[in-house]
Formats: sequence, structure tokens, C-alpha cells
Amino acid sequence: MARDMIQLPVVNDPTARCGTARSCGSATIPSLQATGPALIAALLASQQSLSAVDEFERWHHATAVASLPARVDSPRYRALLPAKPLEAGQQYAFEVDLDRCSGCKACVTACHTLNGLDEQETWRDVGLLIGGSRTAPVIQHVTAACHHCLEPACMIACPVNAYEKHPITGIVRHLDDQCFGCQYCTLACPYDVPKYHAGKGIVRKCDMCSQRLAVGEPPACVQACPHEAIAIRVVNRDQIVEDAEAAVFLPAAPDPQHTYPATTYKTARSFPRNLLPADYFRVNPQHAHWPLVVMLVLTQMSVGAFVAGLTYVRLLETQAVPGLQALHAVNSLAFGLLALSASVFHLGRPQYAFRAVLGLRHSWLSREIVAFGLFASLAIVYAGALLATNLWLYDEASLLRAVLRVCASPWIGWTVATSGVVSIFCSVMIYVFTRRECWSFTRTVIRFALTLALLGLTAAWLSVLVATLVQPSTELLFIVRERGPVLCRTLMALAAMKLAWEAAIFRHLLFARMTSLRRSALLQIGELSNIALARYALGLLGGLVMPSLLLNALPALSSATLIPFAAMSGLLLVANLAGELMERNLFFAACASPRMPGGIR
Amino acid sequence: MSPPSGEPAAPSLIRLVDRSGPLTNELLLEPARFGLGMTPAGLQADAVTGSVCGFCSTGCNLNIHLRDSIAVGVTPAANHPVNLGMACPKGWEALSVLDAPDRATTPLLRGASGRLEPVGWDVALRSLVNRLKEIQSRHGPHSVAFLSTGQIVTEEMALLGALAKFGMGMLHGDGNTRQCMATAVVAYKQAFGFDAPPYTYGDFEESDVIVLVGSNLAIAHPILWQRVMLNRRRPEIIVLDPRATETSMAATQHLPLYPKSDLVLFYGIARLLIEREWIDREYIEAHTTGFEEFTAFVKPYTLPEVAMATRLSVEAIERCAATISQGQRVSFWWTMGVNQSHQAVRTAQALINLALMTGNMGRPGTGANSITGQCNAMGSRLFSNTTNLLGGHDFANPDDRRKVANVLGIDEARIPREASWPYHRILEGILRGEIHALWVVATNPAHSWINQGQAHDILGRLDFLVVQDMYHTTETAQRAHLVLPAAGWGEKEGTFINSERRIGLTRKVRKAPGEALADFHIFRLIADYWGCGEMFRQWDSPASVFQLLKRLSAGQPCDMTGIKDFGSLAERGGVQWPFPAGGHDHRQERRLFEDGQFFHEDRRARFIVEAPRPMPEQPNEKYPFLLLTGRGSAAQWHTQTRTAKSAILRKLYPSDLYVEINSQDAGRLAVRTGDILRIASQRGELRARALVTPTVQPGQVFLPMHYEATNVLTDAVFDPYSHQPAYKACAVTVETAR
Repeated sequence: MARDMIQLPVVNDPTARCGTARSCGSATIPSLQATGPALIAALLASQQSLSAVDEFERWHHATAVASLPARVDSPRYRALLPAKPLEAGQQYAFEVDLDRCSGCKACVTACHTLNGLDEQETWRDVGLLIGGSRTAPVIQHVTAACHHCLEPACMIACPVNAYEKHPITGIVRHLDDQCFGCQYCTLACPYDVPKYHAGKGIVRKCDMCSQRLAVGEPPACVQACPHEAIAIRVVNRDQIVEDAEAAVFLPAAPDPQHTYPATTYKTARSFPRNLLPADYFRVNPQHAHWPLVVMLVLTQMSVGAFVAGLTYVRLLETQAVPGLQALHAVNSLAFGLLALSASVFHLGRPQYAFRAVLGLRHSWLSREIVAFGLFASLAIVYAGALLATNLWLYDEASLLRAVLRVCASPWIGWTVATSGVVSIFCSVMIYVFTRRECWSFTRTVIRFALTLALLGLTAAWLSVLVATLVQPSTELLFIVRERGPVLCRTLMALAAMKLAWEAAIFRHLLFARMTSLRRSALLQIGELSNIALARYALGLLGGLVMPSLLLNALPALSSATLIPFAAMSGLLLVANLAGELMERNLFFAACASPRMPGGIR
Repeated sequence: MSPPSGEPAAPSLIRLVDRSGPLTNELLLEPARFGLGMTPAGLQADAVTGSVCGFCSTGCNLNIHLRDSIAVGVTPAANHPVNLGMACPKGWEALSVLDAPDRATTPLLRGASGRLEPVGWDVALRSLVNRLKEIQSRHGPHSVAFLSTGQIVTEEMALLGALAKFGMGMLHGDGNTRQCMATAVVAYKQAFGFDAPPYTYGDFEESDVIVLVGSNLAIAHPILWQRVMLNRRRPEIIVLDPRATETSMAATQHLPLYPKSDLVLFYGIARLLIEREWIDREYIEAHTTGFEEFTAFVKPYTLPEVAMATRLSVEAIERCAATISQGQRVSFWWTMGVNQSHQAVRTAQALINLALMTGNMGRPGTGANSITGQCNAMGSRLFSNTTNLLGGHDFANPDDRRKVANVLGIDEARIPREASWPYHRILEGILRGEIHALWVVATNPAHSWINQGQAHDILGRLDFLVVQDMYHTTETAQRAHLVLPAAGWGEKEGTFINSERRIGLTRKVRKAPGEALADFHIFRLIADYWGCGEMFRQWDSPASVFQLLKRLSAGQPCDMTGIKDFGSLAERGGVQWPFPAGGHDHRQERRLFEDGQFFHEDRRARFIVEAPRPMPEQPNEKYPFLLLTGRGSAAQWHTQTRTAKSAILRKLYPSDLYVEINSQDAGRLAVRTGDILRIASQRGELRARALVTPTVQPGQVFLPMHYEATNVLTDAVFDPYSHQPAYKACAVTVETAR
């Protein structure tokens, strides 16, 4: 412990009055001898003057700076930094001595201050574990920042390669200028480490104070912990993998096998088995990500519409109705384009959207973006060709006409649909990659597939409706009357399946254990109950009530009853679409995310 | 491991890869001067000064980073003897709380509309003087009282006390230090002959047995807890607290005694020590008096009796006593668990007795040590001119009055011959129609006073309530007739005295917002408008007042005449009293009573005892739970008028009031963490989120004190000697909220 203060000679002079402003600190301003309002004015002026500080500082400069011990040179820190250089197969990591962490949270404020973070921004969190028995109670604070994982989910997920893991130190660094603010890393990281900064449109995170380590200074949190609970250590990567196998990372923390966090939490105690985070029973809605909600629902609607269009060409004998196929293709495309424009709003820096191609080798988001780009391009060609061939004069044969005919062929149509399905598979994988239970492969596939089918059919219904309204020919009316019931019944079956599937989450309310699915269910009957209620009401209305009303109304469909038919169909469309948007909102907001133990909330 | 490469940072819309650029540069660190290490641009300073933190009594020294003389950031000062380069979250965020939008920036006067309206200083001061003089002329000079604080600098409290009593003719004034330190004051005064905490922080590192009583040191004083963690002697740490806390987690022995059974326990331990001859007879004979009576008194406190009263096992008590006896350097530390109780003074003295009888006094790592609360509680104890005449003198002593009158150059007749009423008696005086106007400075009784409903009723009866505060939104300011906008810590200069008696300097490094003025300036203005400005001519700046205070301290145990001025305080990193002129002990850390000479006439310390009394409001059929209150987190300070202003600190503690309840009780109520509970006492009720935890005992619940609602429940019971409120125990009922 070096704490020898600068021992300066002390003058013991009891009678010494404040001789100079320099030694006294505050100069007496003559006008302060005034009285009444003049004194007020003088004191207000004096209050705004910082001249006293100047006086001090001159002193401070002259005498103290040279001998002022450096904050970061304290020998105390030496034991908290690696003693030896890194060898192959090793990396740097935080080591937290839980027996020394008292929960003062100085590390959080120091990280904030010493890294120059914004007013609300923190990169470190301190959680609390509670457990044990009456005779042996346990409370354990847990400080955590980035774990600089062996397989960082943030880095793998990032579509623009804005993360890099330093080949020698293993530090996972975020390249702020490369980030385009998709926030996928905030979903992918099981430890809630990358923090989105809405003002800047990017994510920022802990880099183990690389700039400090580079000059031999301890990171901010290490410097600031009064109890020396945080250290930087050299760890063997193999060891981390082995430890993760035994899941000895930290009680109540996410499974370390997902990303192989490098942080070591050490303790000499043995924790009781009932140790739980202080926020364990609190369920909090997650961010709803509205642009993503719109994007997911409408891309699925679009792809579904293409599939439905190709399927019901036969079913509806749409060839009989000139233009319906083209109209439907254009409709389907419109939903797709709307979806893709919505997705842009999710980016903090949409001007860099093109960078999304960079992560194709590892990021499902990259793949999704590229796949949807391909889908949209093909869909434009296909829908455009269909439209053109419909508007084209029949008697004129040309090469262009031949090309258009090929482009408008069902073969291309199926290519569009396939590329759409592939894109949606990428969408699915984006969420599956996060390993959240409510976003498991099965749950997400079933959800997205049913939305695709349900909204695809709804879109098909819309196209028929529009066509009928534009040109209520007897042919068309006949087709709708004859084939409509099949559509309605299919719709009802799909809607019933989907609603039942979604409502199955509520079975988790019957189990006592606080699983992540139970949290989702609790959110849907708790804080998000309004959205959940709206979701099921709209689902029933659009998926069951309206189709059954239409079923009744269809036999009597004629050009005279077209308006009520159109109104009912419109309601069906709006209810189904709104219902799915609500469903997707819950998909995000009611999905309990894994996280490090949190504090009392 | 190189800093971001210096490739050109030309932001371009078509660049596929930007490894650096403007966003990266925002977080670039640069080597700073002044030993500050790598520093972000926002903290880069052209000068650095040190200043003592203005929250708790630890007295950490903070580096203030200055740019053009204005503070832009704070880091803890390296190698300062108090904090050793560390700070708690409050210290790190000390500057950010100054920028709050609800800072009082102009005087506010309650007008005819009933609302507080902005007025100029001239109007405000005239109203204050007119109203107070009018009330004094109608009800007598003593019908106006003031409530001071442990949060302002010593020079300000001295000016306030002198102005109010010698200038404005008041008799009664007290401080919010009554709520935290009054017990230690009385306990020390009676036992040692002067209010003298004997220790230095280094004692935490020097002990081989550390006994912590009613103290969650790890959370309440994280920077002092640092010293315990730095102790290389593998100390036994004994924690006496009904709750399991962060501190008890690190203890080698935690005695979760029944609340308020501590006095019985200490008498029982004393009996055991005497019985087994585990005492230092030599020390007792040489330096104490009253040991025989003490021995006779503790006789009935047999182990089985004590075990029953404390609900501890006989083995646990025996082990604790044995550990104390075996320790070579045993230190006893107490905080609010002792101070805020119905028999607080005697409990503190029971600890002093244990230290005396085992000879654990005046040596490194020993002592019966009270850890103070507020940054300048010790300054208030010596210089607030409330209970004590300035400088730890006695109002009743003519010699003391003469000395003070001489130093200050005032007419001795202006000095009252009796001490002020304590805080609760002043409030009672309002109820009884004896006090009609109250001047509240930098404290928030409408939140912090015990039995809040009654406190509101009392404050509501005042003819005139003046609140002088940094923020116009405190619960008390909202009730005021006149709000005076005060500059806060960092916007003015002066000295604080910390727990270990260290006088340290705090600096003016920010401009106060709007027309807010340093409390010192406000007092000067009031003196001028009152017409007694002449009396305070020589009180023209904190620095010159410091010279007055030095002279007042001359010859007292707290003699600080050896300190030259503010500059020398800064140079030395603060100076512990005593530091008399001509003294030879210039060590950076010093403890009292190394020679075994106490401050009583006979130079001996006293054993003081009294039969324990039962807890005033015990759990009963209607209110079956016992409510404990205390500090919540290290990021919260008292009524949160300041700490709630930092966005970062707000992230570090729960936004809603929560109540800790044992798993067993929670099970019976079918309550899980996060559910809302209704808690009621005879005096009021509140709602809080349950935190189910085995750390509180069954039948007990714990509420943090920082939330406004908590004191709705507490019971206005006071220690008979220190008049400190007993916040720590009252009976409540707990049920699920419907």
C-alpha cells in the first residue's frame, strides 16, 4: 500500500490571518462591504466568479502536479493486471472475485465516467443473487460487463462485420463507425451486453478498455473497485470450453456453451442451490421492434400471397379472368416492398444498409437481407412481366414479348415463391440463433409458416375482392360464389390452428416453475394483456367470425350485394393483418430473454 | 492490442468498411496530465484540484477536472489517506446532480395565490426579515427557530448558528445531525469527557478483531469497507445485525440478534468477560472509573438470560466473547443500528465499556468507534452553535461564553445561557404554540422526520416556514412560505470534518445556477437585512471564518490552531484534530487516547450503564411484524434530493419502494418477489414491492429509508439522552395489496 502523502512543511502559526489570496483561497471583493441591494449584487457576482479556483490552481500547478501520484500507477493495480504476456491459445478476460464484490457499484459509475459515455449510458451492470436458508442466508452481488466470449454471438450475428475479436488478446471490440444500427447483436448476446444508443444510431459496448490496457493501465472498472474484486487475467481458451461443459460459469446465468464467455467468477464459498437473481420473478416486456414486426408480417404475407396466387391459379380458374393473376402478383409484390421499406426504419443508420452483404458467411441477418433482396428483384420481374403481358397488345409478336412471357411463367413464379420461402427461413434462423426458448426452431417455423399461409390466403382474397370491385363480371362473381367457400374454410382452419398454437403458451401458467415460456405467458396476461387481448380478438374476428359470415353471404353474392360483401372482406383483411401485427409484437415483447442476474427492481 | 489505427476517418456513404471515424473518435482516450491516466475528451482538464466529497462522512478526496476553472469531471484522488484512490457511485456522480432542472434558481415566495412565485432577493430578504421580526415581536424572540444540517461547510454552519442566536435573538436551533449522530455525541461526552471519536481509518486495517454493530458498512460506507478488505491480518469480523447484509456476508461471525436486544447482549458479554477474567485490569485501574459498579451491574446478565433476550445461541455469544478476549487489537464500530434506537446512548456506551474493559483503546486497530453519517456531521457537532456553544463549548459556562464573545468581538450578553432544544422538542414547540416560524437549511424533514404524517401536520401549523435548499422540489420546500435558492457542494468553498476528525477542504468549481447563492452568502445577506451586519464584519469569507473557528478551538480537545489556512489543508490532504499550534505530532493518521488520558477532569474514562428497557412498540396481535429501516444502496443518499438527479445513479437502485420479507412469511401470505404488499402501522400505511429473502428474520420486514413513504410508518420515539429518533423498530402489519 503506497499511501505516503506528500509531506510538506507545516507552518504552525496560530495568529496567521489570511495573508494572501493565494493561500487563503478566496479573495475578498471590496464591494462585499456594501449593504442592501448592492450587497446582493456583489454576492451574486461573487457567486458567479471562479477566481478563487484560479488562485488555487496556480498553487496546485506549481507545487503539486509534479509530485501528485498518478491514479493509474498505484502498485495496488499491479496485482490486478496480467503478469505474463499472452501465449497461443490464451486470451485476456475479466476475473471477478465474488467474495470481494460488495455491490457498491462504483465500477458502473467509473466505467461511465472514465469512458466518456453519454448521460444515460452504462456498459457494466451489477446484479444480485439471493438464496440460502434462514440460518445461512446468502446475498451475492455480481458485477458484469462484456465477457469477451470465445464464440461471440454478437460478432457472429453482426451482418456488417462491426465486431472483431482480437486474434491475440481475445478482446471483442465493436467498430462503431462500421455499425449500421440493426441491433441484432442486442438480441443475439445472451448477456445483454451491446447497448443500442438511439441518438447515435449505433450499438456500443465494453472493449475491456483496450486503449488503457495498451499503455499498461487497468480498465476503468478495475481501477475503481475499492475492494479489488475485478482483475484482468490470462485465461486458456481450452479451459473456458471445458468449464462451459460443466456449466460452472455463474449460478442463474445463461448457458455458457452458447458463446463460451471468458469471464471467471470465483468464490471460496459454495452457493446454495436455491440461489436466484433478485429480479427472477419480475417479468418485463422487451422492446417491440415495430419496424421488424411490420417487416416480418408483410414479408410473410407477400411470400404467402405469391404461393397462394400460384396455387389458386388452378383452383379459381383465374385464367378465365383476365388480369386477376397480374393484379394479385402486383398486390403480393406491394406487400413485399412495403415490408422491406419498413425494415429500413429499424436501422439506426439506414444509409449503410448496403453493408449488410459483408456478413453473408456467418450472419443469418445478412443472409435474410440478401435473400429478400433477391426475392424482391425476382418478384418485381415476375409481377412486372405479368402486368406487361396483360396490358400488351395481343397481335404483336416480338422478342420482348417472348421474354416477358417467360418471365411471367409459373416457373418464374415458383422461383419467386421459393426465394421468398428461403428468405423466410433466414428470418426464422435469425431468431433461432439467439437460442431463446420462445424463439426455438419449431416455434418460430410454425408461427411464421402459419402467418405465411393465413395472410397469403387473405391477400388472395383481397385480390379477388379488388378485381370484383373493379369489374364485377358475372364470371368473376360466379367463381367467387363457387370457390369462395373453400378459401373461407381453409382460412378458418388456418386461423384456428394458429390461434390454438399461440394460446398453447398459456399452459405454462399451470406449471409452478418460472420458465421463460411461463414468463411469456405471464406477460401476456399481465403487462401486455391489452395487446394479447387485441391479438386474440382480431384473430377470431378475421380468422373465424368474418370467414363464417362470408360463408353465409357467399351464395347470395351478386353485383347488388357487392358492397356489404366488400365491407366484410375488407374487415376480414384488416382484422387478420392487424391480428398478425399484434401477434408479432408479442413475439418480440413477450419473449423472455436470457440475461445475467439482475438487481432488485 | 493497439489503439484504433490512425487511418483517415473520412465518413463516406459508399465505404463498405469504416474501421474508424467520427463515432470511434468519440470514445478515444488520450493520456492526460496530472497523473489521471488515459482520459476521454470530456474529462480532459487544464487543471485539477482536490475537493472533499459532499455526501457522507467518509470524506473522500475527489480530483476535480477543471477546464477554464470550471469543473468538467470528477475522479477519486489517488493515494489520499482517506479514500486511497477510490470513490463510491455517489462520489463519481457528484457533479451530475448539480445540473438538475429542479434546481432552485431564484427565491420563491408564497403569494396571495397560495403558490410559490419567483421573487428577487431583495423582496425575499425583506419578507423574511419582516415576517420573522413580526413573529418575534408578537410571540417573543424565541418563537423563531432554525433547523440546520450536516451537509453544509463548517464555516456556514458556524455563521448560521452565530447569526441566528447572537444576531437574530433565537434560542432554539438544531440540525439533522440529531437524526444521525446525536447519540455518539452524548455517549462520548459522558464516557470520555468530550465528543471525540478516537480512531483513524487506518484502524480498520490494523485490527485483528473487527466488531461491527448495527452497521452495513459495505453499503453505507463502501470506501471504509475497502479498509476492512485491505486488512492483511485475516481479521475476525463480527457483525451484529438482525438482518443478513453485504457486510455480514463477509463476516466470520454474524449474530442476527433480535432487534433492540443489543444492550442486553453487551452487558451479557461484559459479564462473561469479567467472569472469565478476560479483561485488562491494568488498563481499567489506570484509566477508568466506575468499574466496580459496572461489575455489580452486569452480574444478572447471565448467558441463558441473554440468549433468551437476544434469541442467539449460548454458543454464539460465548464464541463472540472469546473472540473479543483473544484479539490483540479489537475495534468496535457502530452506526445507525445503535444510534437510532430508544436506548441508543447506553448501547453506544456499552460498546465503549467493552473497549475500555479489554484495554482496546488508544492502540492501533482498537477503539469504540462511531462511524458518522453526513459529510460534515462532525463540523456540526463542534461548530453549529446549537447544542454546544461554538467550538465544543458550553452555553451554561460563563468562561466559555466570555471566550467566545472575545474571539468574535461581540457583547457577551448576546450569547444565550442555555443550549437549544433538540429537534423533536422544537417540533413539539410548534405543536404547543411556542415556535411560530422555522428556518430549515439543507435538510428535508417532511421526508426524513419520524412519523411523517405528524411531521407534516406540525410543519403545516407554522406561521412562516423558510426553506433554504438547492432544489425547490424537496418535500419540505414544497410546504415552504419562502424558498431561498442555495448553491450546492462544488459551488462554494469551506471545510468538512469527517468521521476520523479530519478537517478537509471542499472547493468552488462550478457556477451556481441562476441567482442561487452559497449558504454563506445568504447568511451574510440576512445579517445585513436584519440589521446586524456589523456584528459579522469579520465573517466575510469562509477562509476568514476558518481563522475564527481556529481561535475558538484553541485549548479545546478539538484544537486546530496548528492548521495555517485552507492552503495548508489542501497540501496535507486534510488534518485530523487535535492539531494545536506548536504541536509536534504531524502524522497523517492519528488516533486519540494513545496516552490513556481522557478529557474528564480526572483524565479517566467512565463506565456508564442503565437497565435496558423493552422496545416501545412491540409486535402485537394487530401489528405482528417488526419493521426495520435503513440504507438501501450505495447509490442512494438520504432523502435522495441529490442522488435521484443522476441518470446513472437512478439505474443503480430500484425505482419503487420495496420491502424485504422472509421467505417463511412470504409463503404464508402467498407472496412472491415483485408482488405488491400493503404495510401499515398505527400511524399510516404504504405499498411496496415484496423482495422475498432469507436475509430478514421471520416476523421482521425491512424498508429502505430513501423513499418518501417509509417514514409514514415509523414511531416517534427518542433516546432520552441524545433525543435521537428511533427509526429502527416499530410494529406493522403486512398483507397483500388488493
